[in-house]
Amino acid sequence: MTALREAAVGRRLPLIDGIEKVSGRAAYTADLPARALVGRILRSPYAHAELLEVDVAAARSLPGVVAVITGADCDKPFGVLPISMNEYPLARERVRYCGEPVAAVAALDDETAARALALIRLRVRELPAYFSAEAARAPGAVLLHDNNSGNVLREVHDEFGDVAAGFAAADLVREARYRCAEVAHGQMEPHAALAEYDGERQRLTLYSVTQVPYYLHLMLARCLGLEESQIRVVKPFVGGGFGARVEPLNFEIVAALLARAACGTVRLNLTREETFLTHRGRPETDIRIKLGMTRQGRLTAASCDVVQRGGAYAGYGIVTILYAGSLLHGIYDIPAVKYDGCRVYTNTPPCGAMRGHGSVDARYAFECLLDTMAAELGLDPFAVRRANLLAVPTQTANGIIVNSYGLPECLDRVESASGWQARKGRLPPGRGLGMACSHYVSGAGKPIHRTGEPHAVVELRLDFDGGITILTGAADIGQGSSTILVQAVAEILGVDIGRLRVVATDSAVTPKDNGSYSSRVTFMVGNAAIDAARQLRDILFAAAARRFETRPDWIECIGERFRVRGAEGSGLAFREVAAAALAQGGSITVKGTFTVPVEYQGGKHRGGAVGSTMALSYAAQVVEVEVDADTGMVRVEKVWVAHDCGRAINPLAVEGQVQGSVWMGMAQALGEETRYEGGLPLHASLLGYPIPTIVESPPIEVHIVECLDPNGPFGAKEASEGSLAGFLPAVTNAVAEAVGLRMTELPITPDRILEALARRQRDSRIAAARGAAS
Amino acid sequence: MAMILSLTLNGRQRTDLVPDNLLLVEYLRDMAGLIGTKRGCDGGECGTCTVLVDGVPRHACLTLAARCGGRHVETIEGIGSPGRLSRLQRAFHEKLGTQCGFCTPGMIMAAEALLRRNPNPEEAQIRAALSGNLCRCTGYVKIIESVQAAAGDAP
Amino acid sequence: MSLLPSFELIRAASLAEVAAARRLHADCRLLAGGTDLIANLRHGLGGPAALVDITGLPGMQEIAAEPAGIRIGAGVTLSRLADDPLIRRHFPALAEAAATVAGPTHRASATLGGNLCLDTRCVFYNQSDWWRQSNDFCLKYRGTVCHVAPTGNRCHAAYSGDTAPVLLVLGAQAELGDADGTRRIALNELFREDGAAHLALGAEEMLLSVRLPIEPRLAAGYEKARLRGAIDFPLAGVAVSLRRRDGALDGLRIALTGTNSRPLLLSGCEALIGGPCDAEALRQISKLVQKQVSPMRTTIVPAHYRRRVAAALACRLAARLFSSPATA
Repeated sequence: MTALREAAVGRRLPLIDGIEKVSGRAAYTADLPARALVGRILRSPYAHAELLEVDVAAARSLPGVVAVITGADCDKPFGVLPISMNEYPLARERVRYCGEPVAAVAALDDETAARALALIRLRVRELPAYFSAEAARAPGAVLLHDNNSGNVLREVHDEFGDVAAGFAAADLVREARYRCAEVAHGQMEPHAALAEYDGERQRLTLYSVTQVPYYLHLMLARCLGLEESQIRVVKPFVGGGFGARVEPLNFEIVAALLARAACGTVRLNLTREETFLTHRGRPETDIRIKLGMTRQGRLTAASCDVVQRGGAYAGYGIVTILYAGSLLHGIYDIPAVKYDGCRVYTNTPPCGAMRGHGSVDARYAFECLLDTMAAELGLDPFAVRRANLLAVPTQTANGIIVNSYGLPECLDRVESASGWQARKGRLPPGRGLGMACSHYVSGAGKPIHRTGEPHAVVELRLDFDGGITILTGAADIGQGSSTILVQAVAEILGVDIGRLRVVATDSAVTPKDNGSYSSRVTFMVGNAAIDAARQLRDILFAAAARRFETRPDWIECIGERFRVRGAEGSGLAFREVAAAALAQGGSITVKGTFTVPVEYQGGKHRGGAVGSTMALSYAAQVVEVEVDADTGMVRVEKVWVAHDCGRAINPLAVEGQVQGSVWMGMAQALGEETRYEGGLPLHASLLGYPIPTIVESPPIEVHIVECLDPNGPFGAKEASEGSLAGFLPAVTNAVAEAVGLRMTELPITPDRILEALARRQRDSRIAAARGAAS
Repeated sequence: MAMILSLTLNGRQRTDLVPDNLLLVEYLRDMAGLIGTKRGCDGGECGTCTVLVDGVPRHACLTLAARCGGRHVETIEGIGSPGRLSRLQRAFHEKLGTQCGFCTPGMIMAAEALLRRNPNPEEAQIRAALSGNLCRCTGYVKIIESVQAAAGDAP
Repeated sequence: MSLLPSFELIRAASLAEVAAARRLHADCRLLAGGTDLIANLRHGLGGPAALVDITGLPGMQEIAAEPAGIRIGAGVTLSRLADDPLIRRHFPALAEAAATVAGPTHRASATLGGNLCLDTRCVFYNQSDWWRQSNDFCLKYRGTVCHVAPTGNRCHAAYSGDTAPVLLVLGAQAELGDADGTRRIALNELFREDGAAHLALGAEEMLLSVRLPIEPRLAAGYEKARLRGAIDFPLAGVAVSLRRRDGALDGLRIALTGTNSRPLLLSGCEALIGGPCDAEALRQISKLVQKQVSPMRTTIVPAHYRRRVAAALACRLAARLFSSPATA
């Protein structure tokens, strides 16, 4: 007899912390109760200057000021990558961008803190500032950092296969240049941190908005000169991240330094403007791409040159420039691929990781050129993609092993859902359909810190109350990762969702986790959760077997009833079996782990770790637009997207993530752009930075494709990033049909459309005049 | 300058001494301890602080607390009844109208004002009513579905 | 606490009380909906010793039918203006324009008077105190140079109210008042082409109401270019009013916002009266607009776009109104 029960995996389960969110009870960092001093940061008004003196004497002596700190209070640079730590929490000797933190105060109230900031005097010697990659690389430019030449953080030169031979074999070779503006994450929650320093015990507790509490923990220890054991890092509810918070950020360390200097508790709530200044967004990117193609649409070679304006500090920069090259691979079968990347330091806020890290702008260029060439050869855009599909399993030229590949089905689904074959080319003037594909990693195969530890650890705890607590260091920032872990554990154990609770991201309690980046949590932490749940299940089955006087492998648990397989009767309830298990030695804690096998940790070439992963997600999308030729406005009418996420552990959450990704791609493609005027941001508000409203946001129809991956938890892969990149080229290709213009610069704002239309009109007039003259 | 402020907050009478320059968002968060009302921008740009004043949606970050004397102020904490979500709250939860949750209180308050005025809004009316509330997670698709579900679910 | 600078809040019940408050605090500011003023104060744009709440003044909240037209109190909210049956019947374009301002929550507070007297806007001005200080401030506030046109001697911040152009093409009058009494002027005379002082109000004067004449068969409309479908100020906004008589234009007025430091009532439209609204007429309209507007680098979006789109919207709107049944 097998009782029916609702499977936990595959269920459209609302977020386990959704009730807190809709009722207003969810406490984010700025909401935490505390009797705290007010922290404020003094930011550089200079884009590039030698810092001769930071005079804080007047600020220090202002009544109500408890602490004032400067670069002199921390001489340890920090950074997310051990190989490129070059940023100080507060600038020392030099400021390199407008808005860089220079000093900070802790005071009794806001007014005093503001007055204290106004009393701090800076004496500087201004240096030439560079706001474009080109200017920073020009011969003779002043170097932002020692130990680098030409203001280049990292150059990458990779060639796999014989690119020259590939282009020689092509029937059509085309080269094009694409430019993408810098964009920002724009998470709704402004940055905030709350730091408590216990001077007697020399212990620090930091609450912050981080996506990676572990990296933050390491950097706090480094910058404060404390042992990690003296520090506790807690991540409360977080209002979105999208990569903005996947590296330790200056304000978090400043909050800790202030708390120590004040020997107390300091709250540092950043304004929206300061949140923009902290930045770490997607860099301004200049791409030259060349593709070779046969008449049938088969790719013969690709070469791609990418320059990123990285901002003033290294941050994740090396990884970003490597990702742009490594993810040219893994989506199509291309015989030869060459990549040249260059990450440049400039006097702008540091760039970092943003949803689709590194891959988005290069994918945009690739898919746009693919479409252009298809049109030239008279081939259907779907046919060109289908002519270049991978045969899996396979290993890409740069060493990524692909075991699951749902792209063919993604193509079929959106082609049919959008009515592509019947409608493409037959739409009224001003309307257009475009399509493109994209992919992304399911967790970076190689961790940043090579400690030898497992890549993910989950603990499960069962005690007298019969409740099972999942202990995880994985940061749920709204993407729903804790919900996925609950579903994974419930599936393995066969228990009700309600029996599970999650305790997450408190370093005093939860196991270390590498953090929420590169879409790793479902895959890696999910696998660790499965491992832990199996161990707990073994313990419970052993206890049940003792009660039934049988072998553990004959036990099954369905709907919280333990039975001997095939036996009649009601069996034992979960509580009875749990009591039997606890009787053996009290409360039970098991630990599950997951480590990416070495063959999935990337190719042997320099930088080969970046782009390495155990599984790639795939997506295809069709975008329909209407372009208003009077105003240049591009209106997205509808999006059809298919995303191969392997097993959809929670289809509701998958839909939400895919819709959010596609929509964020739309925001980048059609409007968002950071702009600097002499290094000062023109965009640092939610008026200046046009996050789309509900009015112009299109319906997004999601088709989930479940091409199970043998290594994924229940076959699952990533769902939160892979479909972003495809929107950019798909909408560009749709605009090409609507108005006959192939735009090569993002965002496609109304002024750029009108400018291009006017240019075309001018050109055709000139051509007509020439024709008439000859 | 300060004044005595008496108002009805989530159905309960309250009196406080408030400075003239105190914003309603500061009053709610710092004096009344109602942290559900969020601050997402530097003034009137994101809608996360949306509350109802006499049933009308307001930016708590642009409203002086001192001007709310004698009025009924409602925040996300006053929606629904203890231990029971309102239909909008339930719909946002069940339909995934909330991801990170930061825009959610403001979004629900704006939607609440809409449904009180118009229990069966068309999609365009939902879009219009929520057009001052930014969300960065959902692409708004499931927010619209949540409001539609709540409207269909009307008692 | 304290996102705002410190000030005294004064509630005025009469013009005399407003005058008294102004005498007491020379730098005080008038407060109605507050959606513009409070946001600016939060950015350190001004530090008045007092705010004078004028929403309690008599008649401020009224929409009243008068023999010759309609009187709209300056304190009427934009959401009410957008929904009011009287306004929708006689001046649907005004309701449309009011409905395009910012977002619904702003409109629930923001008033007609506030929208008309809206402070001018500029990327060098609407920034934080830190930002403006880092840029040596600007001519409009605390500085000496207009960063938009550093060699010039005036502020180029752009007027961005959405309701003014419609009111201008509908022939509105503004009622101004101070302790000594009230006076009426053509709305067009309320504005000046100076971003730092764009309102032609006496030292103690304030806007009390707007009067609109009801003109039969006059069709009017408003179109607004902006990046997003809500929240944004106009990159350019155009209002047109016209009549059609025997297939020809009879009465044509065009006004613009977002392109200058004041709302601009286009001159030269008379030349088109009596002719058809054909392609040539639209070309003339486009020329008039492009010649008279002077958008500057006050927005992130380039000025040439604002010029171009203003002309395109004017033509589109004129063509649409000319062929609409209301004009026949």
